[in-house]
Amino acid sequence: MKRFIQMTLIGLISVALTACGGAQPDTQNNQGTAGKSVSLFLDWTPNTNHTGIYVAKEKGFYKDAGIDVEVLLPGEVSAEQLVATGKGEFGISFQNHVTQARAQGLPVVSIAAVIQHDTSGYASPVEKGIESPKDFAGKTYGAYGSELEKSMVNFVMQQDGADVKDVNIVQLGNSDFFVATKRDIDFVSIFYGWTGIEAELRDVKLNFIKTTDYAKDYDVYSPVIVTSEKLISEDPETVQAFVEATAKGYQFAIENPAEAADILIAAEPDLNPDLVKKSQEWLSPRYQDDAPQWGIQESKRWEAFADFLFKEGIIEKEVDATQAFTNQFIENIKK
Amino acid sequence: MRHKFFIHSWRPALAIMIFIGIWELSARIFAIETWILPAPSVIAAEMREVLPAFLPHMFSTIKLVLIGFTFGTTIGLIMGTLFHHFDRVRETVYPFLIISQNIPIIVLAPLLLIWFGLGDTPKMIIVAMTSFFPIAVATLSGLQQTDRELLHYMKMMGASKRQLFAKLELPHALPSIFSGIKISATYSVMTGVVAEWLGAQKGIGVFMTLASSSYRTPRVFVAIIMTMLLSLTFFAMIALLERLFIRWNREEKGA
Repeated sequence: MKRFIQMTLIGLISVALTACGGAQPDTQNNQGTAGKSVSLFLDWTPNTNHTGIYVAKEKGFYKDAGIDVEVLLPGEVSAEQLVATGKGEFGISFQNHVTQARAQGLPVVSIAAVIQHDTSGYASPVEKGIESPKDFAGKTYGAYGSELEKSMVNFVMQQDGADVKDVNIVQLGNSDFFVATKRDIDFVSIFYGWTGIEAELRDVKLNFIKTTDYAKDYDVYSPVIVTSEKLISEDPETVQAFVEATAKGYQFAIENPAEAADILIAAEPDLNPDLVKKSQEWLSPRYQDDAPQWGIQESKRWEAFADFLFKEGIIEKEVDATQAFTNQFIENIKK
Repeated sequence: MRHKFFIHSWRPALAIMIFIGIWELSARIFAIETWILPAPSVIAAEMREVLPAFLPHMFSTIKLVLIGFTFGTTIGLIMGTLFHHFDRVRETVYPFLIISQNIPIIVLAPLLLIWFGLGDTPKMIIVAMTSFFPIAVATLSGLQQTDRELLHYMKMMGASKRQLFAKLELPHALPSIFSGIKISATYSVMTGVVAEWLGAQKGIGVFMTLASSSYRTPRVFVAIIMTMLLSLTFFAMIALLERLFIRWNREEKGA
């Protein structure tokens, strides 16, 4: 009897193992079209920042451009590192990440701005009584774990006659905004288009201090799409094809928010559909905003921010901001 | 004893030197980018530079690990002893202990932060939770491996339960208990660092997060090396304690 149980267990385990091992090649076979396959690493869990990519995938824009895009989550590794080492062709990143990464020698380049203007800000439940940056004094800030955060909070506070030394900064780790502010944390930096909308849905009243209201010169592109210097020099055709199809995807999301939201919901059924719909409605007009074309980036914004990081000592060497991004692919899009 | 230690330690020391030498050479020959794999010399330079800033983080981690580990050890010893004496308690509680070891820290940490706030308590709980288990198991199995004949013999001589435990079972279980403590000590530093990484104000874990979010691989290595040194020191201290205890144990038996 004992022996029988042993054998059954061994059998079950080996079945389970082979099942796990077999799963990967299968998914690849499903997508095995003639196109060149490239991978794209997201920055975080899928959200409305990524809608255009999901649209381009679902509507066949990538397929028409002759590429096959696999969307992946990086986990604890950063998308910038994966792209820089060639483990993935494209990644979703942020202007501040790209600048810091380049200061450390990572050859990543931003090829398109997903959202034209920074939508981030410092959010807190209204009960905390934080109405302007000077109210941060004596409060606790929940940080995501980057050196830049302290400098940015400080900059914003200084515009309002206060100083970051009076703020208690705590690393948030994996806690989300709503959980964190229930206890010891008073304010957190959020993207309005996702967490702010979530608060509206949950009926949590927020005080939201928009970062660019106080730091006009540091209107960072967040997020951006990045690739490696190597891919740009060796295979610009693929990058061009990718950027064109992606731009088409975002154009569709700009014109048809509701349908675009449905595509994202269908692709990622674990997301809260109400949140996606409402967030998409809020974000769609903001992708391109006042820019002449979706994805365009301005040199002076890259330069101003790189200077800020250098002055704050967050990066040790000056980054040539003009190398950190390129408009060549956006500008080459055939109308 | 000390003598022998120095004579034998040249082998691992040489091995480590050769390892570092090969690492340094290959980093230079193949011109590996610093952000991919920094050469030992780069790490050493970085260490000299950041050490003053790093020390407060390290002390915070040491404090956290020591307190958490002390709690964990105490709980482990008490549990192991209770299980040995009360079969029903063991049968009832043991499964819970095993389950407690299967909760991934990565999801547990945020929950503990909600329940206990962002102070040191949740991190100490995590360290205690992961360190008590090997000790409880080792204590129980150590106590249960008492020499049957001696036990029988002492019972015949009319030894009370308390005497049996203090004079026979516990001294016999010590080697096993110490292996449990050593296993826990080795893991507790790492657990402490991971716990900090999931939410803290200070600590090696926080330092690591900041370093890796700004792509400073040399700094990440500084944190890794210091964590290893801390672990080794901790292990050596326990090994020293073990030697003291067990010698005392042997002498007493001999007398």
